[in-house]
Amino acid sequence: MTETTISRGNALPRIRPWLGIAAAASFVVASVMALFWAPTDAVQGNVYRILYVHVPLAWLAYLAFVVVFLASVGWLWTKNPLFDAIAVSSAEIGVLFTGLFLVAGSIWAKPTWGVWWTWEPRLVTTAIMFVMYVGYLLLRGLSTDFSRRATRAAVFGIIAVIDVPIVHLSVLWANSLHQLPTVLRAGGSPALDSAMLLTLMVSLGAYTLIYAYFMTSRVSLELARQVRLWTT
Amino acid sequence: MITSHRIALVAGRELRAERRQPDGVVAAVTFIAVLVLLESLVVGPQIAREADVAAALFWLALAFATILATMRSFDRELEDDALEGLVALPGGRDALFGGKVLSLAIVLLLVATVGGILSIVLLDLRIALPMHLLVVVLLGVLALPPIVVVDVVLALRLRARAALVPILALPVLVPQLVAATRGTSAALQGDAVGALSWAGLLFAFAVVYTVIGLTIVPAAIE
Repeated sequence: MTETTISRGNALPRIRPWLGIAAAASFVVASVMALFWAPTDAVQGNVYRILYVHVPLAWLAYLAFVVVFLASVGWLWTKNPLFDAIAVSSAEIGVLFTGLFLVAGSIWAKPTWGVWWTWEPRLVTTAIMFVMYVGYLLLRGLSTDFSRRATRAAVFGIIAVIDVPIVHLSVLWANSLHQLPTVLRAGGSPALDSAMLLTLMVSLGAYTLIYAYFMTSRVSLELARQVRLWTT
Repeated sequence: MITSHRIALVAGRELRAERRQPDGVVAAVTFIAVLVLLESLVVGPQIAREADVAAALFWLALAFATILATMRSFDRELEDDALEGLVALPGGRDALFGGKVLSLAIVLLLVATVGGILSIVLLDLRIALPMHLLVVVLLGVLALPPIVVVDVVLALRLRARAALVPILALPVLVPQLVAATRGTSAALQGDAVGALSWAGLLFAFAVVYTVIGLTIVPAAIE
C-alpha cells in the first residue's frame, strides 16, 4: 500500500460534503424542471417524464463501466491500489444504476408498449450488461489475495466494457421497439424540443454529480478497507 | 524462439495430452450428443427441425461444450502441477494462452463435426448452402475459445469455479452466439449474403478477443 494512495484517500472527505450539497441541489432543480417546467409530450402525455430519470440512469451506467475499464487499465499499468478502489466502487455503483435503469425502463414500457418486458435488443443487451458486472463483483468476492483479486477483476473489467457500445448501438443494429437515439444521433442535432433538451441536460448533470458523490464516498471506504485488510 | 512457434508447441502438447487422456473431448462430445437428442424430445420434432431453433440449440450446446473442455484442460494442468512450469518458461504466458486457444479450437472442430452430423441426421435438416455452413461453423469455432480461456484463467483456483466460469463467459459470448446462430440459420435456408455477413462478424470477434487475450491475459496468469 503506497503512502500516495493513503494521502489521496484522506483528501476525498474534504471534497465530499460540497459534492453532496451540489448533487442534492441540482437533483432538486432537475426534478422541478422535469415535473413542472418541461412541456407535456404530444404523443405520450406526462408518462414521458420518466425520460428524465431513465436516460440519466443509462448515462451513469455507461459512465460507471467506462470508469471501471479505465481504472482496470490503470491497475494493470501501475499496480496502484487507488485504481482498484476506483474500479470496484464504480462497478458497484454501475450495477446499482443499471438495475434502476432496467426498472425505470420497465415502468415506462408498461403504459407505452403494454408490457413490462419484451425481448428486444436494447432491453436484452442491458440485462446482459447487468449480469456481466454482477459476475465481475462475484469474481472479486471469491478472490482472497489482494493483488490477484485486483488483477483478475481488471482483466474482466477490460473485456466487459465491450458490451457498453453494444447496448447503445443495439437499437441501430437490429429491429427494435425501443426508440432510436434522440440526443447522440449520427449526423444531426438532437431530435428534442429545446425545453425538453435543457431539462434532460440538467438531469444528466445532476445524476453525474450524484455518481461523483457516491464515488468519493465509496472510494474512501475502499481505501480504508485496503489499509485495514492488506497492510495488517 | 518466436511466439508463434511456442504457441504451436503448447497446442501440440495439449493435443497429445488430450489424445492420451481424452476425457475433455469425450465429455464435450457426449454433452452435445445428449443435447441434440433432448432437443427434439423437449420442443417436439417439428419445431426442432426449424433452422433458427436447430442452429440456436447447436451453438448453445457448443458454448457449454467449450466451457467443459476448457475447464478440463486446465484441471489436467493443475492436477499434474504443470502450470507453474509452463508459466516459468520464457514467453510461457503468451504461449499458454495462444496454445490453449488453438488446441481448443481443434478439439471444438471435432465436437462441432460430431454434433453437426448428429443434428443433420437426427433432425433431418436440409442444408441449402453447405460451403457457407462450413465457413460459419469454422469461424464460430474460432470465436468461442478466446473468451472461455480468459474466463477459466481468471477463475483458476477459486472456490465455486464451476459456477463462476459460465456466469463470466456466457454474457460475453452473447454476440458470438447470436452471430453464429444467425449465420448457421442463413446457410441452412439459402441466404448466402446473410451467412457471409455473420461469418465476417464471427471472424472479427475471433481476432479482437484473441488480440485482447494475448495482450492482457499474461498479466492474469500467476
